Amino acid sequence: MKAITANRLLDGEVVFWREGRWVERFGEAQLFADDAAAEEAVAVGKGQPTVVVEPYAIDVTEAGAGVAPVSYRERLRALGPTNEPTHGKQAEGGAAIEALLAATGAARSTGRVDLIRRK
Amino acid sequence: MHPLFKLAGDEVIVADDTFIDVADEDAIPEGDVIVSLTRFQTEGEGLLAGGRKIGVRIQADEAVEDLAYDLPRLSLVAPVFPKYRDGRAYTTATLLRERLGFTGEVRAVGDVLREQAGFMVRCGFDAFQPADGATPAEWRAAIHRHRHVYQRAADARPPAFTERRA
Amino acid sequence: MYRYDAIDREIVADRAAEFRGQVERRLGGDLTEDQFKPLRLMNGLYLQLHAYMLRIAIPYGSVNAAQMRRFADIARQYDKGYGHFTTRQNLQFHWIKLADTPDILDRLAEVDLHAIQTSGNCIRNVTSDPFAGATAEEVDDPRVWSEVIRQWSTLHPEFSYLPRKFKFAVTASAKDRTAAKVHDIGLALRRSRDGTLGFEVMVGGGQGRTPYLASTIREHLPVGHLLSYIQAILRVYNRHGRRDNIYKARIKILVASLGAEEFARQVEEEWAKIDAPTNDLPDTELARIRAAFTPLAFETLAPHAGAYELAKASDPALARFARNNVKAHKVAGYGIVEVSLKTIGATPGDITAEQMDVVADLAERYGLDDIRVTHEQNLVLPHVKLDDIPAVHAQLAATGLASANINLASDIIACPGLDYCALANARAIPIAQHIAERFSDADHAEKVGELKIKISGCINACGHHHVGHIGILGVDKKGEEFYQLSLGGSGAEDASLAQILGPALPANRVAEAVDQLVEAYLRERQGEERFLDTFRRLGMAPFKEAVYAPAL
Repeated sequence: MKAITANRLLDGEVVFWREGRWVERFGEAQLFADDAAAEEAVAVGKGQPTVVVEPYAIDVTEAGAGVAPVSYRERLRALGPTNEPTHGKQAEGGAAIEALLAATGAARSTGRVDLIRRK
Repeated sequence: MHPLFKLAGDEVIVADDTFIDVADEDAIPEGDVIVSLTRFQTEGEGLLAGGRKIGVRIQADEAVEDLAYDLPRLSLVAPVFPKYRDGRAYTTATLLRERLGFTGEVRAVGDVLREQAGFMVRCGFDAFQPADGATPAEWRAAIHRHRHVYQRAADARPPAFTERRA
Repeated sequence: MYRYDAIDREIVADRAAEFRGQVERRLGGDLTEDQFKPLRLMNGLYLQLHAYMLRIAIPYGSVNAAQMRRFADIARQYDKGYGHFTTRQNLQFHWIKLADTPDILDRLAEVDLHAIQTSGNCIRNVTSDPFAGATAEEVDDPRVWSEVIRQWSTLHPEFSYLPRKFKFAVTASAKDRTAAKVHDIGLALRRSRDGTLGFEVMVGGGQGRTPYLASTIREHLPVGHLLSYIQAILRVYNRHGRRDNIYKARIKILVASLGAEEFARQVEEEWAKIDAPTNDLPDTELARIRAAFTPLAFETLAPHAGAYELAKASDPALARFARNNVKAHKVAGYGIVEVSLKTIGATPGDITAEQMDVVADLAERYGLDDIRVTHEQNLVLPHVKLDDIPAVHAQLAATGLASANINLASDIIACPGLDYCALANARAIPIAQHIAERFSDADHAEKVGELKIKISGCINACGHHHVGHIGILGVDKKGEEFYQLSLGGSGAEDASLAQILGPALPANRVAEAVDQLVEAYLRERQGEERFLDTFRRLGMAPFKEAVYAPAL
């Protein structure tokens, strides 16, 4: 399963693709069972350079009662920093956040290989 | 092909390019030409004897000092920016002006963008082939964006420490 | 501190205006992200995991009260009410919006601050001694020379697109508080036997994936030739530094591949061709810069500070603070006060807007309006009357900034790590917190003594793990956070690179391993030996056994 993520150009906020628009909550992200469909959505996102920066697909898996990105890095993006639990998306709480917090493993992002280019 | 801008005092004007930029694999046409350093080193004498104006393209990894002897006979040197982030051409231009005393045209070619125009002028470039579609007005604005500079460079601009003494 | 004149202000204002235009062009679609990225980076703006990060230059770590209050205002208005001081003496805000940055740069420019060249392949903020102007050890004020380099390198036309980033450090004391030997160029001011002032020029130090200590290429460069000589170094690097591989592009790789001697020869050859009189800074400008540093009105005080001594005798917390956080000042009756940003359980280097305001107030009221940032992510009030220290301590304590742990085990350097940084492989902050908690018993921490623990969340080594007495590097091992421990590094005058202890440990083993290392040290140490000294005497074996043997 895949989801599409990016950072919003204007404020850097982490956003996820949902049916042609960008949403802030991972819990609302559209999930793609089909890799080709996911790539198509990434291509549409790449055509919106004044809306988002560098959209890419991430692997998503079932976690507890919900779903979560496979990579720890992507879960941090979907949650916020662990040293400040009231900062970022995690502050809102709820079932989708709980599922993200319960997931384990896979530190590095699967969606991005050449990390040093991303500054 | 990219347009050619030239400095004219404080202004930037669009100039006709009277030179033909010749790739190594192409035959030398009639008229004024720009050739690579390697080609100049093998065919330079013949070209110069033909009574035309000659310019030499200097790649970022080539030593401009290799041209020192021939510079008085050249009309133009064109340091190449393979990527705008590759800053070697700034040193090439600086050495041409400051160390080798070249007074001909120093033309910026390659990945030449207006964000770097100010730096290019300060290093001694006086002609530019912008790759970003910039207009002469935009190019001029980029060059004059900063009212002061802190350090001496290859241009005649007085640095802050000179202004302060005035 | 250096006072801007109208020209300095206009340079910063023009740069801020230029960036405003670039942001508008990016938002309007005239610049692609690829074109915009290097432009925003040269103004210190990164896109990290959760938001943009703005890195503000604090030239050689020197800031005044008005500037600190402006940081507090920005933290409140544009961020989440806090900021993060870094190992480069800079300040980072981690929750910035691109659309706000032009306004933030304007607000900074109003108090003579900027974010110029805090990233990008250019000459970065110059590191200098946070005790400059306050310590009796120095042969000259290194801030003057740091400011000379700041001005020379700002928007340098020839050296703004180098193969890779470039960092200077300037120190003037025997004790090195700048980590000069792990900078691209380390400049150590020394006085020769005949009394002339010169720089020992050290080149090619650095951390990252291939750490090197800098090599001395000139023992004594007369100070007047500083600019022509560094121009020669930068020119050799700009022409010959590698550009085909980002991991081999720093000057340290060029120096190592040529050998320091050959590199020095090329620099000298280039320098001989540079017309020094036109490229060195005129003496008149040097004198102007020196005079532009605010002269400080020290009072004539008795060396024995009666009220201070009395207060220490009756207040053990103050006495502890005095032991660990107060250093000798060059003027009798004054002290250098270090303000720890390593409160146990807090994020190393983080400071809230309210705390910034308190530090600003203290600097204004008790500290001659002078504040410094250290590369160890702490603050310094460099000029406090000893008799005022009890009041300063009380007000720091009231805002949670009185941790008496400078140079102790809980005074840990940690980069932001995977909690914030797009480059990181593992978190650094929680590891620092777990270790610090093990040293929450202040008596135990003091008994252990000087112990520099430095944590990086990736191989780029922003957390200086290569020069930690105990260095910790976060790695990604099959998707889990693991930590590679190394021992014996030092970034001080006795610089050395740490050596790897053994196989990387899972996150939940790191704090325990540090405990085991410390226990081994306490068992083995002789006399006044620091952890580092014991390691240097005994080598790796007893420490390796302490950490790995119990598992066998």
